Order: sequence, then structure tokens, then C-alpha cells
Amino acid sequence: MTKISKLTAAILMAGFSGSSWAAQSGVDDLILSVPGLMPSAVLEMSDEPGLWFKDPVDGDALVVLKPKQAAMIKMTDTNTEHTITSLLWPAGAENFPVDQEKPSSASVTQAFDKPGLYVFTCKVHPYMFGAVVVDDPDTKGLDIGKELQLVTGAKVPASSDIAKRLLRTFFVATTPSLWRDYSKPEWDVSLPDIPLNIEGNTISLSALSMTMPNELKKPATPGVGEVWVNTQFEMIEGKKKAGTATRINTGDWNVVSKFKGVKEDMNNPHNMWTDKRYQNIYQTAWFDKKLLTFDRVSGQTYSEVVVGESPSHVISRPSDDMLYVAINAGEQVVKMTGGKNPSAQKSINTGPHTSPHGHYITEDSKYMVTPNALAGSVSVVDLNTDTNTEIPTGGVIPIAVWGTPNGSTAYAANLLGTPPLLSSLTVIDIPGKKKLKDINLAADYDPVTGKISGEAYGLLPIQTPVSPDGKYVVTANTLSATVTIVDTATNKVVKSLPCEPGCHGAHFGMKKGGGYYAYVASKFANDLIVIDMDKLEVAGRVLLSDLKDGSITAHNGMGGQGILPLPIVEHGYLKETLKLSGKGELSPEVEGWLNALTPEQKGI
Amino acid sequence: MKAAKLDSGQLAYQMVTHKIRDASGQTEDITHQYSTEPTIPGPAIMMTEGDKAEVTLEQDIKGSNEPVSIHVHGVHYKMDSDGTMKVFNHTADQAAFPGKPYTYKWTAAPGTAGTWPYHDHAFGNPMLGAEDKGLYGTLIINPKGGKVSAMIDGQIKQVDLKDIKREFILWMHETTFWGMELNHLANRQVPLWTNPTIGAREDELVRFHVIGIGTAFHTFHLHGHRWIQPGTSHLVDTVNIGPIVREAFVIKAGEGVGPGNWHYHCHVLQHMQSGMMGGFRVIEN
Repeated sequence: MTKISKLTAAILMAGFSGSSWAAQSGVDDLILSVPGLMPSAVLEMSDEPGLWFKDPVDGDALVVLKPKQAAMIKMTDTNTEHTITSLLWPAGAENFPVDQEKPSSASVTQAFDKPGLYVFTCKVHPYMFGAVVVDDPDTKGLDIGKELQLVTGAKVPASSDIAKRLLRTFFVATTPSLWRDYSKPEWDVSLPDIPLNIEGNTISLSALSMTMPNELKKPATPGVGEVWVNTQFEMIEGKKKAGTATRINTGDWNVVSKFKGVKEDMNNPHNMWTDKRYQNIYQTAWFDKKLLTFDRVSGQTYSEVVVGESPSHVISRPSDDMLYVAINAGEQVVKMTGGKNPSAQKSINTGPHTSPHGHYITEDSKYMVTPNALAGSVSVVDLNTDTNTEIPTGGVIPIAVWGTPNGSTAYAANLLGTPPLLSSLTVIDIPGKKKLKDINLAADYDPVTGKISGEAYGLLPIQTPVSPDGKYVVTANTLSATVTIVDTATNKVVKSLPCEPGCHGAHFGMKKGGGYYAYVASKFANDLIVIDMDKLEVAGRVLLSDLKDGSITAHNGMGGQGILPLPIVEHGYLKETLKLSGKGELSPEVEGWLNALTPEQKGI
Repeated sequence: MKAAKLDSGQLAYQMVTHKIRDASGQTEDITHQYSTEPTIPGPAIMMTEGDKAEVTLEQDIKGSNEPVSIHVHGVHYKMDSDGTMKVFNHTADQAAFPGKPYTYKWTAAPGTAGTWPYHDHAFGNPMLGAEDKGLYGTLIINPKGGKVSAMIDGQIKQVDLKDIKREFILWMHETTFWGMELNHLANRQVPLWTNPTIGAREDELVRFHVIGIGTAFHTFHLHGHRWIQPGTSHLVDTVNIGPIVREAFVIKAGEGVGPGNWHYHCHVLQHMQSGMMGGFRVIEN
């Protein structure tokens, strides 16, 4: 909480350090040059969990300036490229927003005229947050502003519920000590008594504090197989960069092991997939350039291949087990051979400035759908010809997509909605290659008052898998900390369930005896939420930290993003694995999982 | 000199005292020419071939015990003035620690005339090197003869350095120009910070010093003006600037094109799109 204590000091710290030369008559008229901006503060972008924008003065993600001062934002300690983009700013602020249109290592020096809160993010890694507060020393309290403008174009009063949520989320996301640690009895978001000036009224930052009990509960019915979770922020002794993959046994809901890649700095491993034998785990290093392949059981690393800037998701094509890796800071999906040593075969271009993120392949292997985070579009790629059709959707940062089992329809989560909708899923006709409609995930939420009048309450949606029976779309919503469940028959939200700060990863797994679980992980909490899809209720919460492991040096179990439950639930994939059953090609463990499945789960 | 921390958290060199002694033993204090605050780039030190310099560096970075050094290019020096750490030179740490200054001795030997960088080579925290945090500056060695060649009025001429009244130093770092003016009319160094507008009167002879720092490669381009690359008769208006690559040239402001707001920028388009640009304001005489 250095950040908070520094705030007060920063408010008191007057001194705009202008030119070090006092005006001297008869001399200054000889100087015709006009100095440029002198940064009074710096935010250095890094790969460090929580401190993605780091003030070198105090190590926090927030700096306080006075009007007309400037800050420099630069990429310093990071292994990949980013954008520097305004997420919100005081409406009417001069020269705003700042928005780098494509990822690079370019810095920004920006002057700030209007008092208030300015939040920056990276469009490729949109939970990287840094903030500048421009504080007028002549007003009481730290200026947050009157009206805040969001990058989507929406304007909200600074006292609105959504503005306060964003403010609290900023503090939680950028302060690891505020992350929800389920190994402790309660979650205490304790913010200090710092006066904030919101719309001219002074309130205390501590008004955003809250305390909630932490209650873990193992689901009464076991699952089948195991669940892998990218615990992306976990720090391991001997590693410079963050990230592990945590393996949970759904038979007893305990952590089996963690893949730590000690030799290999995984650097924010984001998403995983496997081959049809479930031997290899393929894992992307999102803040890097690599695809890592390791043995599912032993954790032995097989290979580490450079694939491109910020690879986000990896998925296979069921028919031939080829891999498709989305290059999130690029404009392509790399097609690779599978196996222990994947090798790039082809680069499938998704269009200029697309930045594909969480892509999907239809179970019949015909199409790949990519949500193009920077282009506001979705691409449908015919995998027999590798030809791309880009469909502009109007979505702001479409970040993940999944489809129905019959391959007809895909649902793309737009992280920042489809203006004027604050939060949305775009429905895509895959073979028709066209947008059908937008689903308002937050139809029952009033962003000003915060009143929730129904089930539709999801803000900043991320992963959005479709259930293997095609009935539901389950979406992890990071700002509202909810999981919304959309009924595909009506395309309406039928349920919102509580999630965690930084709710992010979601996918389905098998429930023992039939049916499915949805598993949901969160960046800023170390539990895995298990949702019973028969009841649409939370069946349990499982700890992702391993308290006995002394090599975990920080953020134990935190950073939950990509989720890979095995056996894979999608029947188009599962049938390829079932074909190998009984032929000595699968491990006894995998054979046991397959034997535990019901005919319906097998897709029979 | 000292290394200090700016309010922004960046590091910078500052001239504390600069005294020069001529051949007769007369001493002159020229400290007043420098900024009274740390600047990026750091103070521009001017020498003439044949000069010797003793530079004492103090580590005055609040809250840091990390060593800082000065590693200079171009001039001659003995091993103990290399500005490196024992891990590199296998002899000793040639760096300043808090309360423990370090002195470097340089010789501007014949043939070293040119524009040279100096920068931190202690590579403290982060390991990327404190030069990326702002610890770099300019050393200008003037030729003993007092003249440099330049393309003026369409001809290669020897220009008397005394006729140059303004010198512009532009460091290209990441996607930013960090500027400094040596204004010989006012007899002072003027920090110009990021992407400044530099200004001169039409027909004035001005000298540019363009230097790269960091890891990026840049292409410096000045509109409307052209110059001969040192040691050649090549006429250019664009030059590639990699890390620690430098280009110094003299032009006549507005020659052949007249007054105006002439653009200068990095021609790497992504850098330019990120604002790596400024103006060369040539005012009508």
C-alpha cells in the first residue's frame, strides 16, 4: 500500500519544477528554441504482476501530477510489445485519448491539463493498468473529476457506480496485497482514509473498502479427470518472470502438481491445449514470444518454440491434431505441427491490426473463428483453404470466442462492449460469415446507480465457452466479478453467479455420473469456481495455491486465466481420443477417465 | 558532476562545478553555463584537441546505493577511467558510490575531434543499465584548428567554430528526442527536454549533434536542409542513428529554402507516429 501513503505526500508536494533558468532580461531573447515536455513522472511498463505500469519513484502503478505537468509512459522491463491506451479520462481533457493503434515498444510523453483520473491500459493485455491523477492543489481532496469518459465513447459521472467499481478494481488489480487469498479467513480490501474529490464533493477512499469471508467448498460430486489452470502470476524461486500451470485432480479437488518451467521463464503463461492422446500440454507465454510443450504427467519440458509476439491462445484442429496459435500482438494465427516439438507450417493472416486473441475451431474442423482484439472484428477462416473473412462487429476489444457443437454459431466476448452497450457478446453465424446480433450482458444493471434489477449483470466479459450440449454460454466477467449464463435458445442472460476480482478463465469439464461442470478462474483470487451446469449453481470453490510448496515465492495460486479440463468435453475432439481407446495408445489414467464417462458425455 | 534522481524517478547527470585552466595556469569557472538542475541529456562537456579533463562523479541518487559511473567514448584514458565495474574489467569498480566519488581522467588526443557520448556503465538496477533511465550526456571535442567542414552556400567550406552561435544536441532514445541547446550568444546550456522546437535566425550557422541511446535504431531526418557527412562529400538530409551512433553537422539555417517551421523527426514511421518529432524554427532575419 505504498501507493496510498504516497498519494497524500504527492498532493502536498507542490513544486512544479519548471525551467532551471530564471528569466534573464537581455539573454532569453537570444534563445529561440522552445523546450518540449519535461516528464514530471514516469510509468515504466513491466511484466511484473500488478505493477504493469510502475512508477520508479515508489514502485506503484499510480502517479499524481499537477495540471499542465507531463508524464512519460515507457516500456522498460517487458519481453513483448504493448499498446499504451487510455481506458478512461476526464471528459474534455485536452489531447485525449492516448491510443497506440498497434503493439510496439514506443513510449508516450503526455501533458495533462484537466484535473481528474486518467487510467491507462494495454489493448493486448487489457488488465495491465496504470493511472495518473491530476490534482488541482487549490481544491480539497484528490481530484477524480466530474465526468469520466470511457474508451468506448460512454461518459459516466465520476460518482457513478461503474466509475467507483473501476476505481476499486484499479486499486485491487495493481496491489497484490489486496488480491483475494482464499488461504486466509477473509478478504479485506482495506483502503486508507484519503480524501477524494468526486464531482466537487469530498469522500474518503476508504468508502470503497470492503471485507468478505473466504469460504472454500469442495463440490459434493467429483468431476472426471483433471483441470489445468494457468496460474499466471505465481512466482517461483529461480524464475525471473511470473507464471505456472496448476493441475487439479477433480476426484478429490486437490492440487496434484504445478508445472513451473524453472529453466524456462514462461512469462505469464496464458492458455493451454493438448493433443488427442493427452500426453502433451501446449502452453503460450503471453508476455513473451514462445509456445512451451511439456509432458502432462511428469512436467518434463519437451520444447520451447518462438512463435511471435504475445501468443495468447493455442487450440488444435480435431481432424489432424495440428495446432493453431493466436499471435495476439500480431495479425496472424500460426499453424503448427503437434507433438513434442511443434513446428510452424504456415501463418494465416487475419487482417491488418487484428491482434487475434482467444480463438476457436469448430468441432467439424471446417472453420476457425478469431476475435480480433484491436480491429473490432471477428475473422472466420476456412481451414480447408486457409482463407480469411473478416467480419466487422463494432465490438470493442473482442477477446474470446466459442461456438456451438454443431458449428453454426459463435459467441464473441467484447471486453469493452459494443457501443452503446457497455457489455456484450456478439453472435456470429459461422458458415454464413456474418454478425447476427449483440447480447447485452448487463441489461439489468444501471451504471449510474448500481441498481441490479435482474440476472443480466456482467461487465468486462472475457472467456466465454459454450456448453458441450449447446444450451448455454458461460462468460467470465472481470469488472462485475460475475459469471453470466446465456441461454442459447433465447440469447438472454438467465443467470449471474458471483465470481472473483479479475474473473477471467472459463471452460467446461465432465461431472462424474453425467452432466458438466463449468470451471472459472480469476486473476486476482486463488480459487477455482466450480459451477454445476445442471443446476446453474456454484457447486464449490477449490484452492489453487499449494501452501506446502516452499518454492512459490509470491502470489500463490493467483493469476487464474486459461483453463484446460481433461477429458476435453467437446465431442468433436473427444471422439478422436475415443477412437484410440483400447488400442494401447492411451495411458491407463486416460483410459480410466474415458471409462468413467456416460454415453451422453461421450457424445453417443 | 553528480548523478541524481529527478522528481519523475528518472536519473540524470548534473554539473556541480566546472573549472578550466589554460596553458598559462589561469583558471576560469564556467559552472554558470550549465543548468542548475540535473538534465536529460546530461551536461554537454566541450573540449579541444589537446585538452585534458578530470571529471569527478558523485552518486547523489536519493534512496539508492547502486553505483553509477561515466564511460566516455572518443577520448583517450587509462584503464582506471574506463567507467566499468570489476565484473567487466577484472580489476576494480570504476564507479561512484554514495559518499564515495570517483574521478576519471580523459585526454582529448589529436584526432579525437567529434561528438561523443558519455553514459553510465555501472549497469546497476535494473540490469538494463541506468543509461536507459537518463544517465547519458554529450562530449564535444573541437578540432585544434578551430574549423569544421560543412556544405555552405552549395560549397564545402571550412567553417570557423567561432561563427557558430547555436548548437543543438538531439538524443534519440526509444521514441523520444531529448534535446539541449548550447547557446553561445547567451553563453549557457539550455535543457530542451522532449521533442522540442529548436530555433535559429535565417542564415545563422548552427551545429547539430544527433546521438542514439538505448536499443532502438532510428533515422534522423531534417526537412529542407542537407549536410555533408563528416569526412565525405556525401550530401544527405537523413542519417541512420543506432545505439551510440552520432552525427554532427553544420548548416546555414534556411539555406536555399528560407525561414519556416522545418520539421525534424525519426523516419522510422512507428517512432514518428509515437511523436518522435519536433520543429526547426527558422526566423526571418
